[in-house]
Amino acid sequence: MKKTLSFLLALVMVLGLCACGASNAPAATQAPAATEAPATVETEAPAEEPAAAVDTKILYEADDSMLNTYTVIAVNPDAPFTDADGNAVSDVAVNTAGADALIHWLLSQTALDMAADFGMEDYGEHLFYVKDDAPVYDGEIAAATEETKTIRLSTTTSVKDSGLLDYLLPVFQSEYGYEVEVQSAGTGKAIAAAKYGNADLILVHSKSQETSFVEEGFARVVDGFEAERVSFIYNYFVLCGPSADPAGAAACATVKDAFAAIAEGKFVFISRGDGSGTHTKELSLWPEDLGITAEAESFADYTEWYTSANAGMGACLVMAEQMGGYILTDKATFLTFVANNGQIA
Amino acid sequence: MHSAVNKAIQLILSADAELCNILSVTARMSLASSLIALLIGVPIGIWLGSCRFRGRGALLVLNRTLMGLPPVVCGLLFYMLFSGVGPFRQYKLLFTVEIMVMAQVVLITPIVIGNMESYVSGLAPAVRETARGLGLGHVRTLLLLTNECVYQIFSAYLLAFARSIAEVGAVSMVGGAIAWKTNVMTTAIMQYTNRGNFSLGIALGLILLSVSLLVNVAISLLQRRLSR
Repeated sequence: MKKTLSFLLALVMVLGLCACGASNAPAATQAPAATEAPATVETEAPAEEPAAAVDTKILYEADDSMLNTYTVIAVNPDAPFTDADGNAVSDVAVNTAGADALIHWLLSQTALDMAADFGMEDYGEHLFYVKDDAPVYDGEIAAATEETKTIRLSTTTSVKDSGLLDYLLPVFQSEYGYEVEVQSAGTGKAIAAAKYGNADLILVHSKSQETSFVEEGFARVVDGFEAERVSFIYNYFVLCGPSADPAGAAACATVKDAFAAIAEGKFVFISRGDGSGTHTKELSLWPEDLGITAEAESFADYTEWYTSANAGMGACLVMAEQMGGYILTDKATFLTFVANNGQIA
Repeated sequence: MHSAVNKAIQLILSADAELCNILSVTARMSLASSLIALLIGVPIGIWLGSCRFRGRGALLVLNRTLMGLPPVVCGLLFYMLFSGVGPFRQYKLLFTVEIMVMAQVVLITPIVIGNMESYVSGLAPAVRETARGLGLGHVRTLLLLTNECVYQIFSAYLLAFARSIAEVGAVSMVGGAIAWKTNVMTTAIMQYTNRGNFSLGIALGLILLSVSLLVNVAISLLQRRLSR
């Protein structure tokens, strides 16, 4: 075992050296172009060496229109499922008992207290808040059986990437014996997965998409609750941008004014562009006369500043940082991004 | 770059449980899919390369088209077929390693077939002539031909393995990149990149390359010994 390990180590080191050599190569090829302005190159080259702190910072937060509410919904096994050709499918396997147990546990006082505490240890800030009117569940939570053991949870990238699920779920799993399989994608994709019968419950954050999911009959009311949609935690979206803030977003009276100022000055804005909850929220904040929607044609005239990235939150934050652009993000992912800055190569 | 190399070394030394799981899922998936693709692809490849029959040209064109099948399309196809609403829903295979292997086999087999076919069709006339001279029957001619292909079979296997371990589009779609279950090296790299954690992604990439290198060295040694 030790021998193979050290062999592997040696290989990694060799590969690393090769990779370092390769990463130096582009610098060498850039050299001829740089000779036109040698003076600036000399000063610029060393400046790239130390990993500069993140320049993107929070410019606008805690505005009521930036409220970001997370809702959990159980999938209805008798929902009007259809296959790819639109034919009705009736025998879709949904683990209702497992979904019930997970929702019951998420709404238990223990889990809510844990969620409220999340982030205090690492960031000294609450990343999620428990809704005052969250329906606390104090009944029995069924333990896992052989048939109900595996729970398929389809959720958004923000609760996964911020580490909330990795922090909550192990407690639930070890206490009740379930295995939760988490698939994370933007809210749009997360809901689509449930409509294709590939999830037992969803945890998402886009009210309009949730409501239509319920109206189409895909949701079901879990025992002990009154409605299909169980909203229980929230936080705020934050508008981030370069610390210089050329659009003056931080000084605006409302977040909508800040968005208008960004559009007015045609400052780079990074949009998720992937139908996620963050994307849906962002679309609702632009001045209406711009007519920006999820459709590609709607922002065809704004491509010089409006960047539709079609990527996850982390990737978009990196893009905003590189381009000095503005971005709407959930606070949890942003704080994680800032904390991990040292790790970005 | 240096931090990524350091991180890769740290990750290996710490024998991180999640990393070990990702490595074992990756190994299971790529070994199984490349071996199955080899078992299916080599006989078909030798047959297509050595026999002349009506419709052979059409089959070759079909195979070459399948060689260019985009992994995402293959993944989407399997996703639709095995979804909770798909026609094969009762098998409950979506988000398992098995379906990842199936999607991979569909992607890789045409490559093995194409690889073997082009080699064998160059070799077949000479072998057939020798066989006729020796008075060998059909079956023995085929065996002789296969014996001549040993070196190429190993090359085809390495190609299949490389393709399988490096694939991301199909496996992320049908596997769902579920932690502790279907997360492989490539999907994990994608996840880290999406989170903006590039150096951990590169660290995993370095480990992936090293594993690939190890397998290549081992099989190339075997290839030399067996085809001598």
